[in-house]
Amino acid sequence: MNRRRGERDHYEHGAYVPTRPATWWLRNMKYFLFMMRELSSVFIAAFLVLYLYEFFLLSKGSDVHAAFQESLRKPGFIAFYAISLVFAIYHSITWFGVVGRIQVVKIGSFQVPPLLVTAGAFVGWIAASAAIGFLFFALL
Amino acid sequence: MPEETITLRVDRYRPEQEDEPTAQAYEVPYNEDWVVLDALNHIKDQMDGSLSYRWSCRMGVCGSCGMMINGEAKLTCATFLRDYFPGEITVAPLDNFPVVRDLIIDMDDFMEKLVAVKPWIIRDEEKPIAEGEYLQSPEELADYKQFSQCINCMLCYAACPVYGPETDFIGPAALALAHRYNLDSRDEGNEERKEAVASEAGIWNCTFVGECSEVCPKHVDPAAAIQRTKVATTGDWFKSFLIPGRKK
Repeated sequence: MNRRRGERDHYEHGAYVPTRPATWWLRNMKYFLFMMRELSSVFIAAFLVLYLYEFFLLSKGSDVHAAFQESLRKPGFIAFYAISLVFAIYHSITWFGVVGRIQVVKIGSFQVPPLLVTAGAFVGWIAASAAIGFLFFALL
Repeated sequence: MPEETITLRVDRYRPEQEDEPTAQAYEVPYNEDWVVLDALNHIKDQMDGSLSYRWSCRMGVCGSCGMMINGEAKLTCATFLRDYFPGEITVAPLDNFPVVRDLIIDMDDFMEKLVAVKPWIIRDEEKPIAEGEYLQSPEELADYKQFSQCINCMLCYAACPVYGPETDFIGPAALALAHRYNLDSRDEGNEERKEAVASEAGIWNCTFVGECSEVCPKHVDPAAAIQRTKVATTGDWFKSFLIPGRKK
């Protein structure tokens, strides 16, 4: 299993080992969407780092924190947040969309239909988001 | 009225003559009942006997005739010319495998990985034949039946973007078959398979692109099998810490 495919000596003339072009992910929509899902992690990670940095600045005093918050109103940051939001929603949809395929839920000998499991995951996600949103606006 | 024809652009690789594959065009009679394999057989019988490819059953069971048709991994015995006519059809060997000649790939790597996951029923102790069969209920059969439909056609390996560069990756079909046996009520080999299945080269190498399930001609859904194995393996790992005396 550790040898590379194609590095064999039992073919008189050797086998042709194809190479994959860097643009392989543009070959079909499924590959493209997969790469977008992977890319979404970069934006979500960057958002979290920024968020943690903002928490850190709270320890430096309200003036420092307020100045940083003001800088976040620049068009570049707003664009970054908008892209991050789109990616976060896309990542979440792809995540919850496959729950029914992955998680087999059985009640006794009855298997809950995968579509129902997926629907349950989406309802849970929306309910949790609504609850957090409610708390956020209630604290404002 | 002149006979209608369709062009097949077929990858040729003759290692004694050339360093890499070249495409060769063949114009074959168009018959709307023909599949790509019929056209290849026509070329072999009537036009160019040197064309090499694998096939056997011609009915989507043996898994021998998988090739890249217009860039998609398909069984040529189940791919109709009419779905492409009047356009051209490109026929190439399965992606991600070394090419031995023309459309024939080297499948040794797949065979080695298939054996590594021990896709057969493993018992801690075999009961004597006199005690009869290992019985199974319809519900127990239903648990794994979907994953037992694999015909080892390797289309999922050709579609998997991880298997190409990650040469150690065990790959979709072998992992799906491991899952099939782990789900079988007669089997006791889960722990034995873990060495390969739960390794870095096993389930954790899969990034869930999902294309393996898209191209599977038997709707096995290897992507789901791998993710379910991830969930089960993670659960086992936690239980091994939480429940004293439990095997890892």
